[in-house]
Amino acid sequence: MTKANVRKARLHLDKLRHLVSRKKTPLSGMREEDVIEEIRKTREEIWDKKLALRP
Amino acid sequence: MLFVLDSNEYIFAFGLRKKPSSEKLLDVILETLPEHSLRIPRMIVEEVGRHLTSEEYREFIEFITNITNIDEDIFVPFELGARYESVGLKPADAFIAAYVEWTGADALVTENRHFLQHRSDLPFKVLTAEGCLRYIISTKNE
Repeated sequence: MTKANVRKARLHLDKLRHLVSRKKTPLSGMREEDVIEEIRKTREEIWDKKLALRP
Repeated sequence: MLFVLDSNEYIFAFGLRKKPSSEKLLDVILETLPEHSLRIPRMIVEEVGRHLTSEEYREFIEFITNITNIDEDIFVPFELGARYESVGLKPADAFIAAYVEWTGADALVTENRHFLQHRSDLPFKVLTAEGCLRYIISTKNE
């Protein structure tokens, strides 16, 4: 990692938040606990896929 | 202080589902770099990416690579993950715990209750975003 570029990072974070704010996401109407559970499911899926790809 | 933010914190911080403490934490870390900094494994990048459009994902990658490196999962010693599985974490969570230890981070920040339940078994702090903000404020006043 070279020197962190906070100004650039800020611009991209702001743009990302702006993009996200323009749409209704599947997670936006969910309870916090359900969102956490949904993200856990994603983790398990990715992990299983990574394991399957191991030699 | 060095932190690893779990994927749920990024999801909340980006506003995919509003959670002010997670948003605030990411802003505080960004404003106080390099005093507070982040590490992130490929696994968490992929998890977050699954919930973003391609345009959002590009912004996420630009954001994160301007403040830290993305560590490849393969760097994390397998034995470390196995140790965390033995205390009851699921394999994927055990990998994240191993990653936090491997980086030498001060804390894992997560809203995942499975980590929070095991916090006494782990050699690093496990904090929620709200707890992490309190921790940062308390250490600032020392």
